[in-house]
Amino acid sequence: MGKRSLSIALVCLALLGSAYAEESMSMSAADKAMYDELLENNPADMELSEGESLFGALIGKAGYAKMMGVSEKALPAYIAGFPRYVDSAKKVVTLSQTIQMAAASQGKEVPKLESPEMLKMTLFLKSLANGQKTAMNVKANPQMKAMMTLGKAVFEQQRGGRGLSCNSCHSSDIIGQRLRMQILPDLGSKANASAGTWPAYRMTKSETTLLDKRFQQCMDNALLAKIPLGSKEMVALEVYVTNMTKGNAIHVPGVKR
Amino acid sequence: MERRSFLKSFGAMGAAITLIPQLGYGEEAKKVAGPNALSLDAAMSAITGGKAVTFSPKVTLSAPEIAENGAVVPVKVSVESPMTEKDHVKEIHVLASKNNNVRCADVYLSPANGSASFGTRIKLGGTQDVVAVVKMSDGTFLAAKQNVKVTIGGCG
Amino acid sequence: MAEIKTLIKIKPKTYSVGDVVAVDFMAMHPMESGMRKDKDSGALILAHYINEVTFLLNDKVITKMVTWESLSVNPLFSVNLKITGAGTLKILAKDNKGQSVETTQQITPKG
Repeated sequence: MGKRSLSIALVCLALLGSAYAEESMSMSAADKAMYDELLENNPADMELSEGESLFGALIGKAGYAKMMGVSEKALPAYIAGFPRYVDSAKKVVTLSQTIQMAAASQGKEVPKLESPEMLKMTLFLKSLANGQKTAMNVKANPQMKAMMTLGKAVFEQQRGGRGLSCNSCHSSDIIGQRLRMQILPDLGSKANASAGTWPAYRMTKSETTLLDKRFQQCMDNALLAKIPLGSKEMVALEVYVTNMTKGNAIHVPGVKR
Repeated sequence: MERRSFLKSFGAMGAAITLIPQLGYGEEAKKVAGPNALSLDAAMSAITGGKAVTFSPKVTLSAPEIAENGAVVPVKVSVESPMTEKDHVKEIHVLASKNNNVRCADVYLSPANGSASFGTRIKLGGTQDVVAVVKMSDGTFLAAKQNVKVTIGGCG
Repeated sequence: MAEIKTLIKIKPKTYSVGDVVAVDFMAMHPMESGMRKDKDSGALILAHYINEVTFLLNDKVITKMVTWESLSVNPLFSVNLKITGAGTLKILAKDNKGQSVETTQQITPKG
């Protein structure tokens, strides 16, 4: 990349949110209905059904509930509360990390967080909480409190050559402005229901993606070093963003632009 | 999207304020002729054999007016027809007027379908018309079209 | 080559004889246009797309589709079906590299 294009881009960043957010460029209700229909025929449904068989072969719902120390009936509400502090892990973990724990407990090969199998199983596991509300509790224990604090710091940490943070595009005072044709979303809104609708199918990538992998794609685009999946900082970021959508309905797989 | 084209079109927007959607994506697509390259005119005459095509309110083509990205554009075609042996829709063709190969799908229906409808999702290389050409059992051709503006979204 | 994953959905889920239902068929497929370049090598990626989909009811062809690389990745093919009784819906999908997949769905009307 030449210096010139970089400076052009920087000028544009400065222009972000100026007067070209015309109403005529927004999606009409009819257009939105057409895209909403994608939820009913979500390509990610195929991965979900694969995830069900993979998860069944790995540990199954009953085995998983037993491992986590909850009844099978309580599983949906329990899953709706992730990320959460898990005693046996002695840390705050994501759903994907509990699948790794499950594999270890069964003496099976532990799937990598980046693997397609992990995506499919996490999608299936989270789908058990469909219809529940995002119920993560950041005040549940000191560990969650600490992760919330760290997550906020990660969200606001300016990094990379351009000094961008998550907050650069997703702070509350910039919501609704535009990055090219895209209205910057309110991560906490009911309409977006962001955390509750991941894993989701991303139309621009034509693939199903986990929330933390989506964070990595965002970091990549902002020219930031990617925070590794499963690291304390990444889990903290998921805690922070999930907290923005507390009480929103869970419906996976979602469909995203 | 490629970072290079991301910056290029980003720059174009800064300069022009209003965005020209074809920049970037469409420009790159033009460099390579696809394996099945076919123009709209050629595809139309292959379908109709040169017969007249009438734009008709009997054919409903639903597609978004503004597509947030060109990779997944939902398209649905439905045709008013009793779908009996005597009077039914034989074919529905979905064409994207400016794609390298304009053909998206050629659908051959029968009365067993009960009603004439075809839904799919298509890729659009840029802002263009989506055209539905319908062949009726009496051999006539009806059509509908809709312009879809393909925008370039945020940061990929 | 990995097997092509597919999914059939009938909408609405319950239906009776005489109803017209929607049959939505999805397949996991890259639908490569043949115009994209490999990011690392710069070489063109060969076209790879589903080029034929056939819907059969009790082994009789009811709808046939010739499809092209302009369809989205993991494409959807949706048509209607008039319910005339119980039976088997079979959907055959083939791609331009000769791979094919057959998916079946029982048609079981209520009442």
